[in-house]
Amino acid sequence: MKDKIFGVLQRVGRSFMLPIALLPVAGLLLGIGSSFTNPTTLETYGLMGIITEGGILYTILDIMSKTGSVVFDNLALLFAMGVAIGMAKKEKEVAALSGAIGYLIMNTAISALISAKGGVEAMAANSTTTSLGITTLQMGVFGGIIVGLGVAALHNRFYKIQLPQVLAFFGGTRFVPIVTSIVYLIVGIIMFYVWPVVQGGIAQLGQLVLGSGYIGTWIYGIIERALIPFGLHHVFYMPFWQTELGGAMIIDGVTVQGAQNIFFAELASKATEQFSVSATRFMSGKFPFMIFGLPAAAFAMYKAARPEKKKIVGGLLLSAALTSMLTGITEPLEFTFLFVAPVMYVVHCVLAGLSYMLMHIFNVGVGMTFSGGAIDLTLFGILQGNEKSNWIWIVVVGLVYAVIYYFVFYFMITKFNFKTPGREADDEETKLYARKDINARKDAAVVKEEDGFDRVSALILKGLGGKANLADVDCCATRLRVTVSNPDLVQDSLLRESGASGVIHKGNGVQVIYGPQVSVVKSNLEDFLDTVDSDSVDILLGEAVFEAPKQENKTNKSGLGVMELYAHMNGAVVLLENVEDEAFSSKVLGDGIAIEPAEGKLYAPCDGKVDMVFDTKHAINLVSKDGCEILLHIGIDTVKLSGKFFESHVSDGQEIHKGDLLISFDIEKIRNAGYKTTTPMIICNTDDYNSVEAIGTGNTTVGEKIIEIK
Amino acid sequence: MKTFEYTIKDELGIHARPAGMLAKTAKALDSEISITKGEKTVGAVKLMALMGLGVKCGDTITVTINGGDEDASEKAMKQFFESNL
Repeated sequence: MKDKIFGVLQRVGRSFMLPIALLPVAGLLLGIGSSFTNPTTLETYGLMGIITEGGILYTILDIMSKTGSVVFDNLALLFAMGVAIGMAKKEKEVAALSGAIGYLIMNTAISALISAKGGVEAMAANSTTTSLGITTLQMGVFGGIIVGLGVAALHNRFYKIQLPQVLAFFGGTRFVPIVTSIVYLIVGIIMFYVWPVVQGGIAQLGQLVLGSGYIGTWIYGIIERALIPFGLHHVFYMPFWQTELGGAMIIDGVTVQGAQNIFFAELASKATEQFSVSATRFMSGKFPFMIFGLPAAAFAMYKAARPEKKKIVGGLLLSAALTSMLTGITEPLEFTFLFVAPVMYVVHCVLAGLSYMLMHIFNVGVGMTFSGGAIDLTLFGILQGNEKSNWIWIVVVGLVYAVIYYFVFYFMITKFNFKTPGREADDEETKLYARKDINARKDAAVVKEEDGFDRVSALILKGLGGKANLADVDCCATRLRVTVSNPDLVQDSLLRESGASGVIHKGNGVQVIYGPQVSVVKSNLEDFLDTVDSDSVDILLGEAVFEAPKQENKTNKSGLGVMELYAHMNGAVVLLENVEDEAFSSKVLGDGIAIEPAEGKLYAPCDGKVDMVFDTKHAINLVSKDGCEILLHIGIDTVKLSGKFFESHVSDGQEIHKGDLLISFDIEKIRNAGYKTTTPMIICNTDDYNSVEAIGTGNTTVGEKIIEIK
Repeated sequence: MKTFEYTIKDELGIHARPAGMLAKTAKALDSEISITKGEKTVGAVKLMALMGLGVKCGDTITVTINGGDEDASEKAMKQFFESNL
């Protein structure tokens, strides 16, 4: 279960990379563009003369700012589609379409409910936003992610659905957008009622922060970071920046409310001797970890990447690090580790919180337009002079932070083997496996765990003249439309056998008529084309049609002739026929031998690999280095003990050597609980061999030969 | 190709014994049977792969029947699951 969750999280993380790859570019456009079109900035530096509204330079900067901004404004949609693409197993383009549909429908459902309630005014302040022209709840990227994940789940479940003949046109991939729209209509309604409760909770936290000094600043920082993945940080910090929650002050005779407003009023005022830290405490903390900490973390991820991947991830990480450093847009970097290593994000939140607190303690008064990059630091810190802003502390703390981030991240990545970019399990390996020829198919099946091939697709493929003859495969409402290289190789009879009602030839084009279920036929055929089986349809179909004896597989399997297995326990040999459990004695599970143990220890009978330790630890599957599949089952009916009295010393996938201790167990307690401890060793793939012969007798000791396999 | 879903009711799930019986049942049929749990699909005659699925009580698996007399095979598989798992 844990592995499964981890595996899913990794896929989620990887599926994020597509939209994330866009962010650094968008961030730079937005950061540079908005800084130099901000009237306050222009006024402060006397750039009003050079960059004027309506002028060429201003317009270019404005275009940069707005095109960068549109990416961030629609990040949720990009995630809805990107995650759906990443998580869908097949027919990804349909998942992308469905992701967009799901996102539009969900937000429109929310929008309609907001209108029904009385419009935006009737909702809590800062709780709504406009997305793609739809007035909806402020859900941030989170809104897109729940659409993307949900749509992918629906897609994987339904993209091959077969509907009754009458409705068959709507079956297969066409069903996915349909079911998506209905599901997300309902999700939208649910979110309308659930999300404001979440938002309300966040607002409460704000009140808490204010009442507690330095610690309050720390907590503020942690919360602000922790909310980023959910897009809720705006709901949280905006009140501090823009309302009296962030303080009120009289500057040049005018009452100013909100931390950011106070800072910019002080910036504009000639009377300011030092910026008020009571206001900047909600901002300055961003600089040390955004300019120094996170880029160092990116460097740690780069160092931890596998050598052959460094070049690829280097580009991604470098651009993400530069974006964070210059503009203070951190999402591109944070999202690279958030999902593959949530623990690292937790550490990041705590450090970020401390950064806010340290800035508060060191009286640093540097504000920002929207985030804490080097551009804002230069404009609002360095250029203001150290007397006013104490900006030097940002660099001091920042340098320390760089060291801390680097070592903490590097340590955590390598220690816990987090799959940060460049460390993912390599997909190529499985593909390489799949390329092996047909004789290796049985062995490959151990890895790919796929047996049984798609007969219909195999027939179609053979009928079309084999994989090499296919140039293109598509379908319309009722027909499979195929372009082949050589039309003479097409065999209509085989296509008919596969269920086609007719075949039409037009030059290199072949149309095979299946009726409305054709989209399912096509999906299956495409799946099949991706498997190793498609390279050898002739052999497969030959095997299946003529039921040719698989004799050659049997003797050649190991290439060694005779394999030997050695005693897996110290104790008395029991012939399998005499084991007091029909499942074993009838040899349903395969042939083998059993031992009545003298002590509670199970050892490896050969060199090989652990395929799986049962959750209940009473049994273990091994694959010998020769491909022999071995089940070791301690006791009879001991699955009912649910793991009590057993202790495993190995884990799934681990390499083992003959005589290694695999499992220890409390022999007395198991017997007292009413179970027999007779331990069969079963060859699960007995059918692959000519004979499995039990040669052990009497008392045996670990390492003694007890089985011969030919 | 036919498929059906089945939710395991046996509290011990598909451990060694039922996996053996399942493989034996599947071997006797003239169709190719495969079992899917989550993302993993294995041939029903591959005993070790079946055990490797780690199917527990309450898990829903998909049974796929391909080729041969699919109707008869589906019936046999359904009957097997109903009476054993």
